[in-house]
Amino acid sequence: MNKELLIETKQLQKKYVTDTVETTALAGVDLQIAKGEFVAIMGPSGCGKSTLLNILGLLDSPSAGSFKFLGQDITHASERQRAKIRKQNLGFVFQSFNLIDELTVEENIGLPLAYLGVSKAETEKRVTEAMERMGIAHRRNHFPQQLSGGQQQRAAIARATVSSPSLILADEPTGNLDSVHGREVMALLTELNEAGTTVVMVTHSPSDAEYAHRIVNLFDGQIVTENLNVRKHAAELL
Amino acid sequence: MLKNYLVITLRNLLRNKVYTAINLVGLAVGIASCLLIFLFLQHELSYDESFKDADRIYRVTSTVQKGDQTIETAAAIGPLAQLLPQEYPEVESATVLINMGQNAIRTDEQAFYTDNIIYADSNIFSVLDFPFIVGNPSTALKAPASIVLTSELAGKLFGSLEAALGKPVKYIASTFLVTGVIDQTAPSHINPGAILPLHFDAQTEYYVTDWNGIGGYTYLKLHKKEHAAPLQEKIADLYDRKATPGQSLAGITGATFQLQNITDAYLDKEKEAPVGEVGNITYIYIFGVIAGFLLLIASINYINLATARSAKRAKEVGMRKAIGASRAQVIQQFLLESVLLAIVASLLALMLVELTLPLFNTVTGKTIDSVLILSSELGMALLVIVLFIGIVAGSYPAFFLSRFSSAEVLKSNQTPKSGNALLRKGLVVAQFTISLVLITGTIVVYDQMMHVRNTDLGFDKEQVVAISIPSIGWVKQKENLAAIKQEFRRLPQVVLTTNAQQLPGEGAVKGDYLLEQNNRLVKKSINTISVGYEYLDLMGMKLSAGRNYSKDIRTDEQFRYILNEAAVKELGWSDAIDKRIKPTWADTANGTVIGVVKDFNYTSLHSKIEPLVIQLDPHFGKLVVRLEANTPLAATLSDMEDIWRKYFPGYPMDYSFLDESFHQQYQAEEKMLTIFTFFALLTIVIACMGLFGLASYMAEQRTKEIGIRKVLGGSVTDIVVLLTGNFATLVVIAIVLAVPVAWYAMDTWLQNFAYRTELSWWQFVAAGMGALAIALLTVSYQALKAATTDPVKALRAE
Repeated sequence: MNKELLIETKQLQKKYVTDTVETTALAGVDLQIAKGEFVAIMGPSGCGKSTLLNILGLLDSPSAGSFKFLGQDITHASERQRAKIRKQNLGFVFQSFNLIDELTVEENIGLPLAYLGVSKAETEKRVTEAMERMGIAHRRNHFPQQLSGGQQQRAAIARATVSSPSLILADEPTGNLDSVHGREVMALLTELNEAGTTVVMVTHSPSDAEYAHRIVNLFDGQIVTENLNVRKHAAELL
Repeated sequence: MLKNYLVITLRNLLRNKVYTAINLVGLAVGIASCLLIFLFLQHELSYDESFKDADRIYRVTSTVQKGDQTIETAAAIGPLAQLLPQEYPEVESATVLINMGQNAIRTDEQAFYTDNIIYADSNIFSVLDFPFIVGNPSTALKAPASIVLTSELAGKLFGSLEAALGKPVKYIASTFLVTGVIDQTAPSHINPGAILPLHFDAQTEYYVTDWNGIGGYTYLKLHKKEHAAPLQEKIADLYDRKATPGQSLAGITGATFQLQNITDAYLDKEKEAPVGEVGNITYIYIFGVIAGFLLLIASINYINLATARSAKRAKEVGMRKAIGASRAQVIQQFLLESVLLAIVASLLALMLVELTLPLFNTVTGKTIDSVLILSSELGMALLVIVLFIGIVAGSYPAFFLSRFSSAEVLKSNQTPKSGNALLRKGLVVAQFTISLVLITGTIVVYDQMMHVRNTDLGFDKEQVVAISIPSIGWVKQKENLAAIKQEFRRLPQVVLTTNAQQLPGEGAVKGDYLLEQNNRLVKKSINTISVGYEYLDLMGMKLSAGRNYSKDIRTDEQFRYILNEAAVKELGWSDAIDKRIKPTWADTANGTVIGVVKDFNYTSLHSKIEPLVIQLDPHFGKLVVRLEANTPLAATLSDMEDIWRKYFPGYPMDYSFLDESFHQQYQAEEKMLTIFTFFALLTIVIACMGLFGLASYMAEQRTKEIGIRKVLGGSVTDIVVLLTGNFATLVVIAIVLAVPVAWYAMDTWLQNFAYRTELSWWQFVAAGMGALAIALLTVSYQALKAATTDPVKALRAE
């Protein structure tokens, strides 16, 4: 692999301890993701997909192992440092959209820029661009509940991309959508990836996974197979 | 970002209307109560502050020895004011004044009874600069026939203040020219109704010339306040040089003096014989504590509801953090939210205060105009309250909510725990404990007031009218009183008439007597009242030995006394009749006891009945009339006024009913009862509002559980019991905690009364059951709503 590594994990482990039971969610994951890649993570329920995604997204920290982000070891980074990396580099897309109900579409999308301290004029410009790109500009003053599921997810993607992050983490982004809207979302993610953004996506859906360059299969907290998506690569080579 | 926070706060408040209403109403009422207390306190502390150089104006108070008796009094030895500026250069100026109490001030057209008629030397305005609206303060009291009126009285007498200047007014038997009108609105403990020159009346001369008697009230202005402490010693020396205690008619054997800053005079209730008004700081403390409680209960509502509904905000917190918000930023956001809520609540509170001001002024007797033009002090108070609520009530929810981890809350369909349920329960218990203590307090105060009303006073206070006789010179007064007594007696509605210088509830004066004890005469100071022949009969008082005064026995007007049983008991007499008794000042050998009256309450039920001497004086004091039962009052009073006008033309007939005036003494308690009742109800209402909100969130959270229970066969009753049971337990715990606190507090309060109701179990049971019932009613509404929801719907919602 000649490209620069964005993510590199070594023997990543995550254990949850409740009163009496210790559950292993991740049992030593070695994963490398290069800049510009589109990686799908698949596996049955409870295999550790979401845990892995949360750790990659710096929302959670590993119990053991190491984690480098852009070459920097952040295994033991403080919550403050992780919050800083999140707001500068990451965008999140969730199955349940997680838009804030009390904010309008425009305000939701502008929120990451507010935390980055971007000026008002610049925010307005970038939010408008993001909405136009996602085809929801006519809905800017609506509240999330007034939107269809597909529109909500597009708003969520607009929010995830408005700060031009280098990595987008998507957790079952089409899980709550019908197939038409699901395909629309996947097309958007592909578009973003083609423009240079790295995408890591957790999914149950083999057809969604087809959009990725590489499919990582997880089982019982370990990577069992790692396949290049032949069709995709072939298409790119042509 | 700030705008973003404000936007989301406002939308949250608008979206959750019940939640917002509960918090806003509770906080607004709490803040309003605090503001009212603050206004009250501010007013009470502002007495005499408006005098120029108030910090170096002092009142000379005295500690007087009369044998083994020590008396703290607000007055001082009379001649001090004249002598001190001459003897001690640190005294810039000094004045002495005496308070002649209430009397009529008249023109030819009308008369007004005026309280606190002050006689003062001409220096008064150089020490106490009452603001003159018209007239010259430096010359106002120079002429003996001058009088200074308050703007209120001058307005009533002459219409305009300017017109008053130079006009004649009558007081007692003399005419005075108005030389000034002062503005009386700034609160002062002296609270003068009118000010006259001290030396117009030879009878009052001795007040300010006698070194051996406690005379006028003395006020000094010093050059520096540091002079006060050393000057106290010098005054003591001066007294020792000038006084001859052996010659004191009042029996003074020694005295020391204190310089009290004038701003402390109003709230000093320890001193006997206060000048005008005396405040009572205790009530300020009580109301302050109650207002604090209200604010606390409302803050608890905020904490409880904010954490209970935290699940709803969790997603937002998670998302903000995922996007890159730090925990500090989230805390900041929620603190801002609570401060904002507090600001909105305080605006509501200001309106509430404005609306309740007239009522507040009536209850407290204050005159506060408006709060909408914020004074800087009130603004500061408001700011402190807002920050207090915003930070104290806001910080727990803020820290709690900001703790949510994104990884957990953003995983779809997982609701995080709604905060520390144990803490919330503890806070509910605290709220109800406070409410219960106040409710129990209300019941006990009410019970005591009833007890006071129904206690046998030893006399019949119904249907007795007392009428003040105007001072029109003592010869005329005596003649008119005798004549009007007879003429009233002839009215068919009148049973009896008499006169008395002190009526029950008005206390008594101390008289110094020599009494027979073991065949020798001992000196004693005993409470004394002076009454007419028919007094005992009119009042329905009973003799337990000897005889009543009789007009047929000519000697009764000379040193014949009736004592009460308490006096006989204290003197240790087995048979009181014909025992020797005489005033220390009288040169007589034949003073005797002719009767013993059964004890009656001549002060108030606060104190035990103390020894009393009744002496006969058929010529002076108030005119007392007993009316037939069921007399039409308006017609009777009008008949009486017709007669009155013949004898006292130009003077209004100033009458009062004994039962009412006797109850005046419990005014403070009655006020306290009103305020107690009001606040106790408020606390329970606000606590229940919180409970209502809490119950609705609980029911919401347990929707799935309720659905499953119903599917499995649970009845509506089962589910209501399940949901209300938790809250009932909390109220019961609160009852257990409240009982000892309330018991202790109310027992302490009851110690103020010599005649008091017993604390009994029913008062506590009534309060407890009442609170429990209200709480259950509140919760069961939500429980019933949850229990009757279609279970299929509840389960499908998952």
